[in-house]
This record gives sequence, C-alpha cells and structure tokens, in this order.
Amino acid sequence: MLSRVVLSAAATAAPALKNAALLGPGALQTARIFHTGQPSLAPVPPLPEYGGKVRFGLIPEEFFQFLYPKTGVTGPYMLGTGLILYFLSKEIYVVTAETFSSIATIGLLIYGIKKYGPSVAEFADKLNEDKLAKLEEAKQASIKSIQDAIDMEKAQQALVQKRHYLFDVQRNNIAMALEVTYRERLHRVYREVKNRLDYHISVQNVTRRKEQEHMINWVEKSVVQSISAQQEKETIAKCIQDLKLLAKKAQAQPVM
Amino acid sequence: MNENLFTSFSTPTLMGLPIIIMIIAFPALLYPTSNRLISNRIRTLQQYLINLILKQMMAIHSPKGRTWSLMLMSLIIFIASTNLLGLLPHTFTPTTQLSINLGLAIPLWAGAVILGFRYKFKTSVSHFLPQGTPILLIPMLIIIETISLFIQPMALAVRLTANITAGHLLMHLIGAATLALFSISTSTALITFIILLLLTMLEFAVALIQAYVFTLLVSLYLHDNT
Repeated sequence: MLSRVVLSAAATAAPALKNAALLGPGALQTARIFHTGQPSLAPVPPLPEYGGKVRFGLIPEEFFQFLYPKTGVTGPYMLGTGLILYFLSKEIYVVTAETFSSIATIGLLIYGIKKYGPSVAEFADKLNEDKLAKLEEAKQASIKSIQDAIDMEKAQQALVQKRHYLFDVQRNNIAMALEVTYRERLHRVYREVKNRLDYHISVQNVTRRKEQEHMINWVEKSVVQSISAQQEKETIAKCIQDLKLLAKKAQAQPVM
Repeated sequence: MNENLFTSFSTPTLMGLPIIIMIIAFPALLYPTSNRLISNRIRTLQQYLINLILKQMMAIHSPKGRTWSLMLMSLIIFIASTNLLGLLPHTFTPTTQLSINLGLAIPLWAGAVILGFRYKFKTSVSHFLPQGTPILLIPMLIIIETISLFIQPMALAVRLTANITAGHLLMHLIGAATLALFSISTSTALITFIILLLLTMLEFAVALIQAYVFTLLVSLYLHDNT
C-alpha cells in the first residue's frame, strides 16, 4: 500500500517515473524467482537390489572395516566378546528365566531363517518376475497385434494397386455383353422384316396362282363350251382318218 | 530385574513415562509402503500374504460386508504382529492387557450388531430363536440367546488375553525351571529346555492362530448381520 503511495508521489514529482508507477507492484513479483529446483519425481530412481552386507545378521560390514586399521581382523570380535562377558559378569544383564526363553525363541528364529530363508526369497523373486512377465507379455501382445495390423495394411495396399485389372475385366465383360445383345437384336429385326416380306411374297404367289388357275379353268370351260356337237363329230372323224393314215404309214415302214 | 512373575505384564515405562502408545504403534513401522509396482522382497511377501488373507476372509461376505475389509485386515495384521513381536525376549505385548482387547472387541462386535439391527431388524431378532424349538422352551431360549449375544465381545477379548498371557507365563515358568535346574542337574535342565523349545514353537503358532480366530469371529458376526 505504502509503496503505491510512494510510487504515485514519485510519479507526480518526476514524470519520467510515471512508467515505473504503472508496473510498480507487478515488478516486485517478477523480480523474485521461484521454483529453481527440479521438482519432477519421474523417472523414479531405482531401488538398490540387495541390502547392505551384515555379519551375524546384525552388525554391518562397515563397522568391521571401520575397526580394521586399528585392531585388525579380530578387533570387533574381541570387542563383542568383551562386552558380552562384561555385561554378564557385572550383572548388567541378569540371567533370568527370560534368558532361556529368549535362547529358545532366538534359536528357533535363526534356525527357521537359515533353513527356509533362501526358498522364501526365491518365492518373492518369482512373484515379482511373474508380475513383470505378465506386463511384458501384454506389451509384446500389443506390439505383435500392431505389427500384424501393419502387415495386413501393407497387403491391402498392394492389392489396391492391382485393382485396375479387375475393372478392366469387368469393363470387357460389359462390352461383350452389350455387343452380344446388339447383335441378337439386329438378328431379330432381320428375321422379323424377312417374315413380313415373305408373307407379302407368298401372298403375291398365291394370288397369281389362283388367277392362273382361274383363267385356265375359265379358258377350258369356254373352249369346251364353244365346241358344238357338230364340230365335235367332225373333229373326231378327222382324227380317226388321221389315225388310219398313220397306221398305214406305220405298217408300211418296216421295223428297223 | 523381575521381582515376581507378572512384572513383564506391567505397563511399560521409560524413565517414568508410559510408552505404551509407542509400543502399540510400533508394528506399523514394520510394514513399509511404496507406490512402486515391483518392490523389494519384504514388501512383495507382505503384499502377497495380505492378498491371500484378504481373499480368503472376505470371500463369504456380501458387498456390504466387504466394506469392512480394511478394518478386518488391519485387525488381523495388528494382532498377528503384536503377538509375534511379544515372543521376542524382554518385549511387552499389548494384547496381554484386557483393556486393549476389550477396546478391540467391543466396538467391532457392537458395530456388527448395530448394523444388523438397523438394516435387517427381523433377521437379527430372529437369531434369538433357533429353528424348531418347542413352544414351552421359547422364553428361556430367548434369555439364553440374549446372554450368549452379550457374552460375545467378552469372549473375544478374554480369549485373546488369556491365550497370550498364558503362553507368556508358561514360557517364563519353564524358563525359570530350566534356570533353577541348571545348577542342580544339567540333563534335567536340558529336557526342560527342549520342552521350552516345543512350547516356543507352539507359541508362534498360537500367536498367528489367535489373530486369525479373532478376526474370523468378527467377520462371522458381520456376516450374520449384513
């Protein structure tokens, strides 16, 4: 608040500072820098695969390494033995009933771990392996299905390139069918026309024949009618005379 | 220094301050959480076991009963881990105290019963009368069933307390016997020690079994009432 008052006062005092007044409070925010680190959590750093090495299941190796320069290899063991004997002898650790039950319990635990530890660890590893294998399987299946899809797509594309053969064949078929239909129709037309023309011709033939026959009949009838009875007798007598003459001639001619 | 047999069951104090809360909360530290898919061996094994127990225990329930899955799983894991940790020397087992077991049993039992009475009143009330009872016996039977219903939380709590306490006491006593016989006759002490070994194996089993029984019974009460 006060800064704004100061800035406005400064703006009225010196006009060159008016621009500063406009971006007064905002400039304060942009001057500070936030988020300099890398806050991203991914990729998650990998877990160590094995725990730190220990001796007797309790004491890390680093302790032995720590004491090695000064006391050598047996140093930590001497320290441990001394401590235990000290606690026992000074009765800082009292041997009670609990001691024996703790010996029994811890002994049982150590026996169990030594005997079944590796198999249980193997079982746990197998569980993890199975989980990973399942996911890997899913990934491989997905990749394979996509690859199959790609191959099929390529095959389809190749087929599409050869599609024009199909169209040519179809086009030829259609052209042939059209041609056949055309010729068939042409032939039919020809036949029909010929039929009609034949009809007319046969009609003409029949008419002419009929006319001829009629005329012949009429001529015959009229000729026959025109032959009177007298003429008929004369014609027959003449024919008989001609025949006699011929017969005479024939007899006269010897057979050669 | 143990003055009498029962000092191991007194409320643990560290320099005069009761640390019972920390002891009860301690087993939770032994179950690490992680949001990775593949974890280390101990997490994998814990996940596997919890899955196994979950499937086996919640299979019989309806979806309404399965809303109690988290509660029942936490229960069985708490009881199992506190029992098992109590077998280590010089540890305090919260489940040996009746107060804690009552605190576990009464709310869970009451929750199951109230659920039953609220949503399925007739079925819950009908549990008081088994099928096919002669008419003359009905009043007495209803009284008996009511008593048996109200005894359920007590039985749950006392069963757990008694089993674990008895086991611890027995181990203590036989350990004391071994200690006493050690200076008298070593071979007898050895025999006693072997008995102690066998007892310890039993105690391991009992620890797990008691947890299972507790949770199973609660889940049974739930099943009756959902």
